[in-house]
Amino acid sequence: MKAIEIIGKGEEMHGRAYIPSGREEAGTIIKKLKENGFAHFVMLSCVDWIDKNEFELVYHMWSYEHKEHAMISVRLPRDNPSMFSMHELFPQIETYEREIHEMYGIDFEGNSRLTPFLLEGWHDTPPMRKDFDSKKFAEDVFDSIPEIKEEEDEGI
Amino acid sequence: MRYEEWNKISRIASRKSLWMLHFCTGCGAVELPPVMTSRYDMERFGMGPMATPRQADVLLITGYLTVKTLKRVVNVYEQMQSPKYVISFGSCPINGGMYWDSYNTVKRLDRYLPVDVYVGGCMPRPEGVMNAFLELMKLIDEGKARGWEKYQKYYEQYKRNQKMAFGFERGKNEGD
Amino acid sequence: MVDFLIKIAVIALYTTIAMLVGILFMGIGRKIVARVHNRVGPPVYQGFIDIAKLLTKKTNISHGWIYDLALLFSLTGIILTILFLPIGGVKLLGTEGDAFLVLYLLAIPALGFALGAGASGNPNAAIGVMRALVMMLSYELPFVITMIALMIYYDTSSIAQIVELQRARWAIMIPPFMLAAAVADMALQGMLMEAPFDIPTAPHEIASGPMAEFGGKHLGSLMLYKAGTIVAYTTLFVDLFLGGGVVMHDGSILSYIVNFAVWFLLILLIFTLSLLINASFPRFRIEQAFKFYWKYEALLAFISLIWVYLMVIS
Repeated sequence: MKAIEIIGKGEEMHGRAYIPSGREEAGTIIKKLKENGFAHFVMLSCVDWIDKNEFELVYHMWSYEHKEHAMISVRLPRDNPSMFSMHELFPQIETYEREIHEMYGIDFEGNSRLTPFLLEGWHDTPPMRKDFDSKKFAEDVFDSIPEIKEEEDEGI
Repeated sequence: MRYEEWNKISRIASRKSLWMLHFCTGCGAVELPPVMTSRYDMERFGMGPMATPRQADVLLITGYLTVKTLKRVVNVYEQMQSPKYVISFGSCPINGGMYWDSYNTVKRLDRYLPVDVYVGGCMPRPEGVMNAFLELMKLIDEGKARGWEKYQKYYEQYKRNQKMAFGFERGKNEGD
Repeated sequence: MVDFLIKIAVIALYTTIAMLVGILFMGIGRKIVARVHNRVGPPVYQGFIDIAKLLTKKTNISHGWIYDLALLFSLTGIILTILFLPIGGVKLLGTEGDAFLVLYLLAIPALGFALGAGASGNPNAAIGVMRALVMMLSYELPFVITMIALMIYYDTSSIAQIVELQRARWAIMIPPFMLAAAVADMALQGMLMEAPFDIPTAPHEIASGPMAEFGGKHLGSLMLYKAGTIVAYTTLFVDLFLGGGVVMHDGSILSYIVNFAVWFLLILLIFTLSLLINASFPRFRIEQAFKFYWKYEALLAFISLIWVYLMVIS
């Protein structure tokens, strides 16, 4: 596992390098991996660990030199979560951050494009959070819409 | 010539020349190429895919509709020229299908747009689509495909429902 | 006065026949393409149904008076073009020098079409119009050169006279004009906007381009215009290279009928050829089409022109 050697910490998990990281040091780790062959930023994903009351941001990177998948995990508190934007390292992170901002409500400092993205006119709890009741929302909003009342006569 | 007879001629012509606009932002777009090409060949009924809503007579909506795409569908539908027909394809526009508890799928299309023919199933096969076209032709022939007239008549109700889905009525989205 | 009325009646009859033939050809064309694709295809009278449907649409959205009138402009232009072309050897308005006139008239409908599309205000239409005009510029150079070659050979600039002088043998049987006819046939492909030169109205790239905002009665008029172009362009080709379909010259009723039948078969042949090319080729991009016409086609046309000139002076 080259990624673990480069960073000096982390463990192997299902054939991938899993590197836990603090909020502040994540930027330096990603930069270091980028300089050492991990040129492909695959994606940024997010998990809501509601029992531990924290979010986990996972930065997936791939190295074509070492044929290795590295995951940098950052844990954030669930109330007022905020992270530094990495879009200066990889420009495509901006879009992932936009999506995660919309779906989980995580703020990314330094990202100027955190505008509404996939959802249309959303003002509720971010829908991917575990404490958002999707079924209740669908019942409240979409089932409450009345049917079209037609008059009796058929001769329109 | 009386108006009724004129209408009849118009119906015969439009039945045999339905131009289709397919709105495939959900799933199911892959069922349409067999319908259009040599396997099922919908052109033998005078049907054909069209590029813009202005030219089209039939709006075929495949798969689920989110709030965002519903807005676009309504735009597209209102750009089409009457008489116009809507075919909803798949179970999602009927009752939400597998997205019945989704935060983002508008479940019943007929509350926002008048639907003339439904094709049920997940996914319906191309035969289903062909059957829907034939059914629509039959309805037009009998003068029963009156969705566009319904939309004009109950325009306020449809607009109210659309606005409710877009979030106007929830009182949180006034400025949009 | 009576002569004048008869002339008007004959012109109306010719226009109607030409339009009906054009609409029929649209159906035949779709059928041929469908057969090439191994499909059943629509019935041959599909064009009539389509136009009837479009003209009986209940709502018709207009985008201003230029949009409305431009269609009439292009429809008038194409009808005028048809009237200047001898159909089955019968000339209606043809005079001396009408070959030049037809060249100008051929531009009018396309310009009217462009005007209407421009007035619709759709960005796709603007792109499509730009491409259509570039396409027009492209195919006209080789086509004009072949026409000049014909004019030099027959020493006249009247299309009716060119038809008349092909009585003994059709122009296409003379070796340089075989080359010229091949060039003109590819130019015809661009005029009819069939593949590989259908980029101006490409449905997938630019949402059918100039037609993007047309619907209802406007689209119906546009289809009439399209039907007219099919007849006008194929008739022009038949008049120039295939003797206008004239096989009997005695002026009897039978000769008119036979000449019309031959004319119909010949334009059907030319149109079928164009459709077979259409059904088997993908699209050129606009700069590729331009290059094709101005580089290879124009060169071949020029060779045929020089060849004809050498034949004439020797």
